[in-house]
Amino acid sequence: MLPTPYVTCDYEKVYEPSEDSFLLLDSLEDEQLFLKDRFKNKLTVVSEFGPGTGIVLTFMMQNHIPTMGNSLYFGLDISPWAVKTTLETAKKNDCDKSYLDCIQTDLGSNLRNNQVDVLVFNPPYVPAEKVPLVPADEKDIHTWLDLALEGGKNGMVVTQRVLDNLGNILSPDGVAYILFCAQNRPEEIVKDMIDNYSWKVELVKQRKAGWEVLSVYRFSRR
Amino acid sequence: MKFLTTNFLKCSVGACDNSNDNFPLRYEGSKCQIVQDETVEFNPQFLLNILDRVDWNAIVTVARELGNQSLPVTKPQFTHQNGDANTASNLTEDELAVLQDLHVLLLQTSIAEGQMSCRNCNHIYHIKNGIPNLLLPPHLA
Ligand SMILES: C[S@@+](CC[C@H](N)C(=O)[O-])C[C@H]1O[C@@H](n2cnc3c(N)ncnc32)[C@H](O)[C@@H]1O
Ligand SMILES: [Zn+2]
Ligand SMILES: [Zn+2]
Repeated sequence: MLPTPYVTCDYEKVYEPSEDSFLLLDSLEDEQLFLKDRFKNKLTVVSEFGPGTGIVLTFMMQNHIPTMGNSLYFGLDISPWAVKTTLETAKKNDCDKSYLDCIQTDLGSNLRNNQVDVLVFNPPYVPAEKVPLVPADEKDIHTWLDLALEGGKNGMVVTQRVLDNLGNILSPDGVAYILFCAQNRPEEIVKDMIDNYSWKVELVKQRKAGWEVLSVYRFSRR
Repeated sequence: MKFLTTNFLKCSVGACDNSNDNFPLRYEGSKCQIVQDETVEFNPQFLLNILDRVDWNAIVTVARELGNQSLPVTKPQFTHQNGDANTASNLTEDELAVLQDLHVLLLQTSIAEGQMSCRNCNHIYHIKNGIPNLLLPPHLA
């Protein structure tokens, strides 16, 4: 078991690390060797969409995933509270030596194309009538937190935007780790990505969490 | 936001993807507050790997906008730069000095407060407390 970050913040504003977050940590721990081998001594650009508290990015920096001293980490969250908290969590865990920048933005819309080597995303995956509108006011913390959870139809609206754009986000050797819950119908989605868009997709980890079944899949071109 | 991050940010407006002017963003030197963090340690191998990867023209452009005119127009080449793991150990003193300067610019320099805009659509983005905000207002998203 690798060490996990110390996280504390106001969970009225930012998504509290839960079973999904921990499944992602465990998945990345399992993938350590795969990633080391894939990127060897090259520079790797790591981007997390929706880092929330920053628990996943901080875990990666702490444990030198994917590589030791050779990675740039970017946290991209729509919530102003999440970007601030991600920077704070990194600091509290003495990750100041790692290269980390956080950006308030909508998914990868501001990233230069084909630069991300490792993408990590624990999306708002809960089925809901619709994805909440982005609040105009920072103080509307209730809506910012809803944005962390509510994923519209089948809980897939936000994740599907990332899947549709994956070819523009990832570098040629890039890999994406994306979390799903059973209601997202991940088997169908994965089949579509393989059959219709020629992605290579592997199930990394699956776990029952209460009444939910969560899974993490790895997407790559080869 | 660290200087090197400017090499990864484009305009968020989807329509600007069809222009060649959505990257790099245009940084308003007079409106940017620059800070240096001298505690970031110099790692020549990291710098070599970064150089391998960056869009050099964009680095030069942004450096000029922020008041640094000293970069050469072509990416510095290193005699032993051949991708093997111990490359950095073969560097000459002059080469190390070049990397040290780049270390100061790319990794130690940050924009704490400031603004930048898209060369294509002119949309303005802000940096506050070191955090860039590239969210678009609803009518542009
Ligand atoms: C389920 S939480 C995951 C938080 C954290 N990664 C974890 O595992 O604990 C989803 C995160 O995605 C962010 N988010 C939601 N929609 C987003 C979007 N369109 N662009 C960027 N981030 C978004 C939310 O603010 C929230 O921090
Ligand atoms: Zn609500
Ligand atoms: Zn633009």
